[in-house]
Amino acid sequence: MKQRRTRESGAPPVATMDARAFTLLSLTVLCAIVAHAAHLPVWYIAPLAAIIVARWWRRRRRRGRVSGWSRAAMLLATALAVFAKYQTPFGPDPGAAIVCGLLVLKLLESETVRDARMAVGFSCFTLMTVLLFDQALVMTLVVGLMLLPALATLRALEPGLPESGWLAAFRPGSALLLASLPLTLLGFLLIPRLATPLWGSPNQGMARSGISDRMAPGDLHSLLNDNSVAMRVGFDGEPPAADQRYFRGMVLWRFDGREWTPGFAARRPGPDAPLAQRGDLVRYQVTLLPSHQHWLFALDVPIAAPRDAQLGPDRTLLASKPVDQTLRYNVTSAVDYRLHPDRLPPGLRRWALELPAGYDPRARALAKDWRAKAGNDDAAVIRDALTLFHTGGFVYALDVPPLGRNSIDDFLFNTRTGFCEHYASAFTFLMRAAGIPARVVVGYQGGYWNNVAHYLLVRQSNAHAWTEVWLQGRGWVRIDPTAVVSTIEMADAGGDNGAPIGGSIGGWWLPWQNRMDIINRWWSQSIINFDALSQSHLFRPFGVNRTDAQTLGIALAIVMFLGLGIGALLASLKPREKPRDALAAAQLRLQKRLARAGVVRGHAEGPGDYYERSARAMPSAAPMLRALSTEYLLLRYAHSEPPPERVRDFVRQVRRLRPSRVL
Amino acid sequence: MDQNFAAATAASLANTPRQRLNAALAQVNDVVVGKNLPVRLAFASLLAGGHLLVEDVPGVGKTTLAHALAATLGLSFRRIQFTSDLLPSDIVGVSVFDRDANAFRFQAGPIFAQLLLADEINRATPKTQSALLEAMAENQVTVDGASRALAQPFFVVATQNPLDMAGTYPLPDSQLDRFMLRIALDYPDAEAERRLLTGEDRSTLVGRLQACLSGEDILALRQQARAITASPALLDYVQTLLSASRKHHDIRTGLSPRAGLALLAAARAWALLGDRDYALPEDVQAVFVAVAGHRLIPARNVARDALAQALLESVAVE
Repeated sequence: MKQRRTRESGAPPVATMDARAFTLLSLTVLCAIVAHAAHLPVWYIAPLAAIIVARWWRRRRRRGRVSGWSRAAMLLATALAVFAKYQTPFGPDPGAAIVCGLLVLKLLESETVRDARMAVGFSCFTLMTVLLFDQALVMTLVVGLMLLPALATLRALEPGLPESGWLAAFRPGSALLLASLPLTLLGFLLIPRLATPLWGSPNQGMARSGISDRMAPGDLHSLLNDNSVAMRVGFDGEPPAADQRYFRGMVLWRFDGREWTPGFAARRPGPDAPLAQRGDLVRYQVTLLPSHQHWLFALDVPIAAPRDAQLGPDRTLLASKPVDQTLRYNVTSAVDYRLHPDRLPPGLRRWALELPAGYDPRARALAKDWRAKAGNDDAAVIRDALTLFHTGGFVYALDVPPLGRNSIDDFLFNTRTGFCEHYASAFTFLMRAAGIPARVVVGYQGGYWNNVAHYLLVRQSNAHAWTEVWLQGRGWVRIDPTAVVSTIEMADAGGDNGAPIGGSIGGWWLPWQNRMDIINRWWSQSIINFDALSQSHLFRPFGVNRTDAQTLGIALAIVMFLGLGIGALLASLKPREKPRDALAAAQLRLQKRLARAGVVRGHAEGPGDYYERSARAMPSAAPMLRALSTEYLLLRYAHSEPPPERVRDFVRQVRRLRPSRVL
Repeated sequence: MDQNFAAATAASLANTPRQRLNAALAQVNDVVVGKNLPVRLAFASLLAGGHLLVEDVPGVGKTTLAHALAATLGLSFRRIQFTSDLLPSDIVGVSVFDRDANAFRFQAGPIFAQLLLADEINRATPKTQSALLEAMAENQVTVDGASRALAQPFFVVATQNPLDMAGTYPLPDSQLDRFMLRIALDYPDAEAERRLLTGEDRSTLVGRLQACLSGEDILALRQQARAITASPALLDYVQTLLSASRKHHDIRTGLSPRAGLALLAAARAWALLGDRDYALPEDVQAVFVAVAGHRLIPARNVARDALAQALLESVAVE
């Protein structure tokens, strides 16, 4: 009458999650959803988060899936919400929204351990998609940390683990993440790079482009409020003085009464404007973040175009294809220069004086007035105009009242409030009306000089517009009318760039952000932009000059094999447990055979229990197995020293046993 | 007629103590239905010469088990209901002055029974508890300077309710160690519960039980249990379990050598109940949670029995 705990060899009942695993799973899903909060609307994310919390709360009382009707309703609501917001299910944003909605649905129906494992996998995918939108260091770290709940959930789903504290639940996952770092580094360094990133979706980020090629009142406004990084500039020597940090983007010639556009003059073929440079040249390297536009920015004025770009007739740089990925280029500029000094061709002169008929009569009259007073002295006219801006009650502000049809008149005589583009626009108009050739230049001005890492950080909020006037003998001269405005109304002058203009309402953290940009720069230069070229540099010290996918693959294989070999060596150095005697060796052999046949012994399973289970699983071998089991137990446990002849017999019998596979 | 009769007949026909033991086991199982494992553990405790702690909520049959054991084992039986005003002398006994003999005469307390049911042991004060536990450890009591040996065999079945903690004095860990096995009865399964509901009153059944074993039988069986072979491989397994309990990161205090002795004795008794002359690792596994569950001191707030089970599952068997 033997009575043992019976072990079922059949299929186990479907295991459901315990409360702890479910809490961790909810946290995992919540993390994946919250990580998407930056680019999905709040009215979409907040209800999803609320549903997760509600589901968690409800399951604490009552287990079970949420009813099929509720799930169907939520599926419909998700589809409607995505369609209402994006009108299409395609593209990164709608895709992310759909994935988030489906993930929460998965949580609603997650009850079993199998469900939970799938939900964790799905959460990890959802988390990974965050990197399609933001690859900055902070987000990458956040995504990495958010993997911890996922790993803790997987661990909690393992059966037979003792209860442990909440902090301890995260420990194995943390160790796992840390242990995976070397492998990550290896893959990062050695896996062959594609020419473009795998997820280089072409239209991504279109909404947040930089400076555009037209300038109407208020156009720059959103840009001046945008503190994202536009570019970083590293100089070979000393940086130019703060008042010379004008980065030329494009030149706008044509004014239609409301809007400045490049016009035909900027696109004219024909020879470059003659340039006489004086003083030292400035050599520097620009790292331009994706702008999805063609133009590049260079310090006033570049003397040659970098690779894959051409120099426009007005000393502007145009890339051969839109800047969809971070672009690095080297430029040389002359800070002290004479552009077109001797003679302005009549055609250009006409364009530089052209004004739309029937607009802004008061401004024209004012300019005529100045001209009449000054006679031939262009400088006097310019002085008059600048004096007007300086003392005429003008205010620099980002909150600008709307302007009427005669926008220049309105600005000059009524509102007197505006930012760079208003001043540049009005000043250029006045100059043209007074007969001085003038044009608008748009680009960036200022920036934050990082004295530790020696580079200039230029943000979108440094976007600026200024004027160039043509003076006989001097050529095109840069005049920044915004700089003379004396009253500045701003919440906070962003950055300490030394110029009272161009900055935006940055907030108290902007100086701090400026300093911390070193890390972001390192991240984007060394990690995000680690491309095939950087990869090939890795192998230079080893005498490999050409690095293609094949070389990398071989290197990867070598390192992996070396790693595996070292691991195997270390493992073999650890003393292996040897069976204590012939009886133990024979029973190990028997176990191996049974395991191959499909019955694996549990870690702590007693020998009698194990052989009984095997006998039930393979009825054909059962009598033999039971006999072997009895004999083994007798030899091992009924004798202090098993009789050798019986052990030999047992070994023989084990050899004879050929169990057939269990289905 | 009924099962009791059949069991009693089997007992009368049985010749050896081992056969009578099986009959006794069957008889108790007939009264305490659906509790094969706890009943077997109770017998293992008896045969190993240890004492038994039954820990469960009221009404699952703790007292019925004790009564059925008493009736079946043919031992002198006393029951003490522990209360907060129970005094040590209520257990041990007192000396009273006998005027006729002109001397003090010892009035023996209930502890001088062979089977003692200490009901709700955690309701008494620590002083009273320790009077009992000392007697259990030393198999004798000392009153007024005179030591008096307890009856043999001496078997204590103590019960306590783990949930209702108000007004109780939970046994400290060191005192828990005096009990060789701790078992829980748990609710009966549906089939057993139906038999309980439809069958006769348990106390009637217990009243009809006949003694299957005698005190001498039990002493003889204990002798046999001690003679069960524990091979080096089995002792290795026991020692691995003990050392694993001392290294386990969730356990603050592992198993003591005394716990190891208890484990081995209980495993031998279990082998005896399985009609074997040698102990198997499965015997150790069967009694392990009952032996170790109340002796392990967890490092964190973890269920002790679950900890013991996890410990058991972490140690490989040869």
